[in-house]
Amino acid sequence: MARRLVRWKAVVPLALVVALVALLAWLFAEPVARDTAEEAASKALGTQVDLARVRLYPQRSGFALEGLQVADPFDSTRNLLQADRIDVKVDPVALAEKKLVVERLRLEGIRLGERRARPARPVAGEGYAKTLVRQLDDFRRRLDVPLVKLTPLDTLRQLALDPGQLGTVKAAKALLAAADSSRQAVTRRVDSLRFGPLLDSARALADSVGRLDPKQLDVATAARLVQRVQGQVKAVDQARARLAALEKEVRGGVQALQAGVGRLDAARQQDYAFARGLLKLPSLAAPDLSRAMFGPVTIDRFQQVLYWAELAQEKLPPGLQPRREEGPSRLRMAGTTVAFPKERHYPQFLLESGQVDLTVGGSSPLAGAYRAAAQGITTEPALVGVPMAFQARRDAPGTAVAALEVRGVLDHLGAVMRDSVLVTARGVALPAFRLPGLPLTLDPRQGGAQLAFALAGDQLRGRLVISAPAVGWSPDTAGATLNDLERLVVRTIARIPSLDLTAELGGTRTAPTLAIRTNLDEAVAASLRATIGEQVAKAEARVRAEVDRLVGEQQAAARQRVAAVQGDVEARLGLERGQLDQVSARLDQELKRLAGPAGGLIRIPKLKL
Amino acid sequence: MLTLLKLLQSLLKTLHSEGTPHQVAAGMALGAALGLTPLMNVHNLAVFAALALLNVSFGAGMLGWALATPLGFALDPVFHRLGLALLDAPGLRGFWTWAYNVPLAPYTNFNNSVVLGSVVGWLLLAAPIYAAARVGVVRYRATWGERVRQSKLYKAVTASQLYNVYRLFRPE
Repeated sequence: MARRLVRWKAVVPLALVVALVALLAWLFAEPVARDTAEEAASKALGTQVDLARVRLYPQRSGFALEGLQVADPFDSTRNLLQADRIDVKVDPVALAEKKLVVERLRLEGIRLGERRARPARPVAGEGYAKTLVRQLDDFRRRLDVPLVKLTPLDTLRQLALDPGQLGTVKAAKALLAAADSSRQAVTRRVDSLRFGPLLDSARALADSVGRLDPKQLDVATAARLVQRVQGQVKAVDQARARLAALEKEVRGGVQALQAGVGRLDAARQQDYAFARGLLKLPSLAAPDLSRAMFGPVTIDRFQQVLYWAELAQEKLPPGLQPRREEGPSRLRMAGTTVAFPKERHYPQFLLESGQVDLTVGGSSPLAGAYRAAAQGITTEPALVGVPMAFQARRDAPGTAVAALEVRGVLDHLGAVMRDSVLVTARGVALPAFRLPGLPLTLDPRQGGAQLAFALAGDQLRGRLVISAPAVGWSPDTAGATLNDLERLVVRTIARIPSLDLTAELGGTRTAPTLAIRTNLDEAVAASLRATIGEQVAKAEARVRAEVDRLVGEQQAAARQRVAAVQGDVEARLGLERGQLDQVSARLDQELKRLAGPAGGLIRIPKLKL
Repeated sequence: MLTLLKLLQSLLKTLHSEGTPHQVAAGMALGAALGLTPLMNVHNLAVFAALALLNVSFGAGMLGWALATPLGFALDPVFHRLGLALLDAPGLRGFWTWAYNVPLAPYTNFNNSVVLGSVVGWLLLAAPIYAAARVGVVRYRATWGERVRQSKLYKAVTASQLYNVYRLFRPE
């Protein structure tokens, strides 16, 4: 009996199973959507994102996020953003392609910077955001903010320097070793050229031809001799070419050694600073004092902006190349999910254009009504074709923040991405903070602040201006007695009624620069100079003398060795070059002598090297 | 315990069912998809429907699923590499781009390296699984089959209530 292909009696049970699956999907779609959204957002932002509930409205192709909390990636005890409810209406056609094109967005109950009930957990896995946090730690270290040192000056204190700690000594030793190995390498390379046998055979040929009288030679013999001499000339010319190539290489090596000599001076400057640090000498330069006092708080601001700019550049890249992302978390391996954007199609995410009126409630200084707008925020800027832009502003005279405006442009259309943001606040209740290294807390009270930041490719540009016309200073003397220097600085600063700070960030991500000027630095520097300037100058002279004593000999030896190597190498190469030139001239002379009387019977072909 | 009993039932029923070796082997090859590939994906719904509707051994499908699951976990790194190689292949770029922008296609998660690699892996392994299962069933029935059928354990297992559910999907 022929067996049937389809088992019809299983249709009903299968339909029941499918119905059960559909029922489970309907029951659990919202919790699953919430978990998926939490996971995806946490991964993307590099910080814990919590959602109390997701509500799906398939009949109007929308959904709502309730109880959104985005933890601050730099402070796990605070939320960067909280929202009671976010209503989203999406394009159903794009949704069929698993893409999120937001047509309408409404936010309710936005709160910023609120304390979390429980500290945020670090995001699991090794995503880009984690790498970015590490990179930003490096960025912070590279800015190298000095410390305010106000320990009592002890001019009699012994400076115990270990030469092994000094960079100049290490660099000089390394340079000596490099010079020696360069000399040996050049000698080996020249020896390996083996010019001796070539020179001997060329000289022997020149001598034997020189003993002959060309007039006595028949044409055939003369032609044969010419050919032999030409062959020798060719070999000598090839040797000269090899020598020239070696000379070029060797000169590069010698230049590297000379650059090493130049670096010894820089290393010595660092050693002065190191030794100065051992004596804990205070810096009397005004810019150093500003960087020391306001560096950390300034870098905090720039670091946070840079984090979001870098994240935007990573997640919203230019071009339409396939994009890789870590796959979803599951019992099985997550794998890699690749997106394949295509021209004239929907991007994976797009917030076309949104006008958002939002209210920040509560007693926060930021409470009030905001008007925000965003345009073309997308994961594939190339598909949208215009730079992404956003802005938010609020005017609320009489509140803790009289006016606040944020504007930003993310231009990810070209190969070089350009992001910029400008935050302006007027009448802000600026937060109080302790000045690092000083027993003093600054309360700027009301003031104005402006933060401008731009990241173009690798180039950074930032400017933070804070202006507080009536500041308060609180000496932090609890449990500690101030020394003379600390008392002096506290007295000096406490007399200054206002704060004007300008911080400029520049350079690149890997080599950032930070310059800070305030109205405090000159006053503090002047009072320190008047009090301890002479002592510091004496101590600094002692530091320099001690460093010079320890590193001078090594540095001089390294300089001499490099000069000697350069001389030796030049001499050796000159000797080889001279011998080759000499034998080449002799061969040319014999060639002319052979060809001369032949009266044109022997045509000397041009040598092709 | 119930799962174990069910698995044992599946094993026994499958090997002793009235189904032909072809039906048992086809069921195992189909069921292997459920174990080799990440379960919660659209293609597995189709595989499950095929397993139920096609006149193949459903029990063999469940057995194939159970046996292939640990193998699927173990082979995930291989599937990931295979899937990523396919997704990165310049010659297939146009096809993936087209498929990624076709309505509903992205919901199959074909653009995930493990999903794609495991589906391709299953397609490659389906024929060997079918052949091995077919040979195995034929040999088992010719050698051990009757002895096991007479055993007390077999009778006890087949007498359980779950057997009634199984009968619905027994090959015809």
